[in-house]
Amino acid sequence: MSGVQITSLSIGLLLAATIVYLLRRDHLHGPYAIWWLSMAVVTALLGAFPHVIDHVADELDIGYPPALAFVLAIALMLIKMLTMDIERTRQELLLRRLAQRLALLDAEIKQRNQTPSE
Amino acid sequence: MFQTAPCALQSATVKICHLAIVIPARNEAPSVAGVVRRVRAASTGEVIVVDDCSTDATAEEARAAGAIVLSLPVQLGAWGATQTGLRYAIRHGAKSVLTMDADGQHHADSIAILERAQASTNADLVIGSAPERLSRPKRLARLYFRVIAGLEVRDFTSGFRLYSERAARLLSFRHATLFDYQDLGVLMLLKNYGLSVVEAKVNMSERNHGMSRVFSSWSHVARYMALTSMVCLARAGRARRPT
Repeated sequence: MSGVQITSLSIGLLLAATIVYLLRRDHLHGPYAIWWLSMAVVTALLGAFPHVIDHVADELDIGYPPALAFVLAIALMLIKMLTMDIERTRQELLLRRLAQRLALLDAEIKQRNQTPSE
Repeated sequence: MFQTAPCALQSATVKICHLAIVIPARNEAPSVAGVVRRVRAASTGEVIVVDDCSTDATAEEARAAGAIVLSLPVQLGAWGATQTGLRYAIRHGAKSVLTMDADGQHHADSIAILERAQASTNADLVIGSAPERLSRPKRLARLYFRVIAGLEVRDFTSGFRLYSERAARLLSFRHATLFDYQDLGVLMLLKNYGLSVVEAKVNMSERNHGMSRVFSSWSHVARYMALTSMVCLARAGRARRPT
């Protein structure tokens, strides 16, 4: 096992271990957990076999293999960020509706208490 | 002047038989009580003050003046507060909903002008407008939005509006919740659904205190223009069948 392979494998395994740890402590739930667990597997595999990138780049006629890794990583990050903002928008809607509903129910409870005969 | 039809909602504690008057308010304690009293003297509508998480005595002042007070637990902005009022009004059987500002710039005696305009045109939204008071940046903004959104409304930022039940119901739904301002998004949504909008000329005062939240600084204007352009982008040309 070459020096570079040991380095990439330890980085990959460290990242994967961190994600699994966070998952088991309930810091990542549902769909996020699935995404990050897949990422953990991919980083561990690429860490163990970094030359996979070289072979794929060679197949695709990419002269400088790390460029392939960077482009894929950036593309995945952009997709992840986009889905995060979609999710945040959904949550913002939910939060606003809940805040409004709370104000409505709060007022109705107060009205009921003021007029117990109704 | 109103036919007092039997109120629809039986389970609610407060039944609104015809008109609800929604006043969104954030830190308007000095003016809100006066506004509520003048409105109650001028109209038989149920007055609902939506307290947008104020840090002063807005809610207490409004309640003491005889308004129903809805208190938001987090600040939702002018439109979020207004929509809360619309939801309450519709829930409690209102047949039309008037909105006005809590700072005293809209006159209670102009409510009748909007009601007459609604009665004569049967419009789903009557905007109380004072276009001559528009500032230069607002005029430019109006021109810009007329071009990109195709809206012919003159005083599009006016918060003095009378909504029909249909318009209020449409605007109380989730799809109108993410608007950050009450103007373009609301107008375009109504347009998408084929609802009619007219303007009625009214007099407005200078604000008693405070200032326009939107047009207070250039950074606010830039933010407003950018966000509202996004609303136009999202809504332009999205014609729906009338509900």
